[in-house]
Amino acid sequence: MDVLDLARSQFAVTGSLHFLFVVLTLGLAPLVAIMQTWHAVSGKPVWERMTRFWGQIYVINYALGVFTGLVMEFQFGLSWSGLSHYAGEVFGPPLATETLVAFFLESTFLGLWIFGWHRLPKWAHLACIWMVTLTAYASAYWIMVANAFLQNPAGAVARDGHLALTDVGALLTNPALVFALPHVAGAAMLTGGFVVVGASAYHLLRRHPEQGFFATSMRLGIVWAGIGVFVTSGFGFAQFAALSDYQPDKFDGGAPAVSLGFMILIGELFMLAMMFFLLPVVYWLPRWRWTHPILMLMTPLPFVASILGWLAREVGRQPWMINGKLTVADALTPGLTPAMITGSFAAFTLLLGALAIVDYALIVKTVRRGPAGAFLGARDDGAPDPSPAPALSH
Amino acid sequence: MDILWYAVLALLLAGYFALEGFDIGAGMLLPVLGGGAGASGRPGRDRIVAAMAPFVLANEVWLIAAAGVLFGAFPALEGEVLSGLYWAVVALLVSWIVRDAGLWFRRRAGGAAWRAFWDGALCLGSWGLAVTWGFALAGIAGGLAGPPLGVLGGLLYAAAVAAVLAHHGRTFASWRGALPGRPPRTGRALAGSALLAALPALVPLLAAAPGVLGHAADPGTLGTLALTVGPFAPLVVAAQVWVWRTFGSTRATSSTSFF
Repeated sequence: MDVLDLARSQFAVTGSLHFLFVVLTLGLAPLVAIMQTWHAVSGKPVWERMTRFWGQIYVINYALGVFTGLVMEFQFGLSWSGLSHYAGEVFGPPLATETLVAFFLESTFLGLWIFGWHRLPKWAHLACIWMVTLTAYASAYWIMVANAFLQNPAGAVARDGHLALTDVGALLTNPALVFALPHVAGAAMLTGGFVVVGASAYHLLRRHPEQGFFATSMRLGIVWAGIGVFVTSGFGFAQFAALSDYQPDKFDGGAPAVSLGFMILIGELFMLAMMFFLLPVVYWLPRWRWTHPILMLMTPLPFVASILGWLAREVGRQPWMINGKLTVADALTPGLTPAMITGSFAAFTLLLGALAIVDYALIVKTVRRGPAGAFLGARDDGAPDPSPAPALSH
Repeated sequence: MDILWYAVLALLLAGYFALEGFDIGAGMLLPVLGGGAGASGRPGRDRIVAAMAPFVLANEVWLIAAAGVLFGAFPALEGEVLSGLYWAVVALLVSWIVRDAGLWFRRRAGGAAWRAFWDGALCLGSWGLAVTWGFALAGIAGGLAGPPLGVLGGLLYAAAVAAVLAHHGRTFASWRGALPGRPPRTGRALAGSALLAALPALVPLLAAAPGVLGHAADPGTLGTLALTVGPFAPLVVAAQVWVWRTFGSTRATSSTSFF
């Protein structure tokens, strides 16, 4: 592999790892916020325990989203300085806004939420998780603005050898953005919903004493994932019309077409399962233990589909970094040596790969420990837990 | 407009050193302030981590924002700075991730060995951050084109950065009441050590200012950025203030210790 191949592989590996964690973050955040809202409104302790149990899956997953995201942000300058030289004035502002507003707020409010249990007033604490959710989606919007510009450089013209921003409105309402963003959001709902379904199926199958807790979680997860699969499929197919204008040959090659094909296959499988089985029988599903191993086996599939979707979107644009304007070869940092890119590729891949494995092992461990062992929001000053385990009722 | 955005960049980087600086410093001194790296030092180390934990997420994000401003407002410089300091930036990212992994994972499983391992990562990553920042800032002060300050200059700068951050971390831990048996330092002392921690970043930034200002994006782009960021600036500031009002008023550990 030459320097260009290595730099592209580094971006593909760190980008795919990043999205594996981000897609779950985006899918779980609103679900956790809804659970906490339900608790604030109804006062029922089970909803607080659900918030804490699923919330800790959310935060453990969040850690790797940050680690991989750091590498993503700095990688643009390390490997692809040609991009900022040529198009930084158009591509830079969305990324800057994402970090300076959306992620800045998300990180600050997440700290307030995690460490604010028992300290912030109830409604203020609830506002924190909603701010985390809102800013996570704002982040997704700005990142997708930047990505959509690479797909279809709207709102910019070439001037003196670089791109200048001429139409902010066109940049922010790019046809490569307006369908792709809900497509990604729907995929996240499907992924997050099914993680809740799969983990609940595991405990229901093993006859966990808290049947009610996991039955409610499973139903909520199915409905959430069900909405997600309709949104992601609808907006996914809706992209093809606009795509035929700005990238008509996108899926003519092998890898993009195969990725797209398998992604659609997974999507339609979930669509059919939802329409004709899971949603109509959602009330009884927690009791039908024979379905639970199948639900658990389905849980990783939305992650696979998410990565396939990104491969189709990114590989299908080659050899362009900015479609029709700048090739990946021209975007490569001048003077990047094989030693540099090999060294950093090895360092990032080994470190992030190892941490990703540890993180997933911790998520599995946390799921298996069940709600009684929830550490998120647990008091450590000896005061009694405000919500002891409820009676073992259905 | 270019001066305004350079001021924002300088503020974010100085703020990063003043705020995240105490997390890095406390991490560097974790075995020292906590009373050992072994099992016996575990309660002490937990106390130090609990003192800084509620602030870390709100502090480290200042650097992420600074890098974003570099990209958005000074795109011609962004690639030059990051690729010019290639190994320092890679080492900085690795250190940062190792430090953060230590924080996020140390309490996620039982066992003394698990805790000691991730506390080691937290300490090592913090040292890595201080040292690589020393080299990176020496590189910026030297003008990016090769290291005119040399390896020796980088090492000296790294030693200086490590010293001020360690001092800042110790002052913070004391101010939070996480060092039992010693009277807590005052808020004034903490402000002083914060200023000292920001100094190694501010000096190269001021030295580099004349060269940087010529590399700003065109006024239209800077204006757009002001429109997308400006309306939310009060909210960003308010959120940071809220963190300090919530966790800064009470001493020592919070009532829930996640990290």
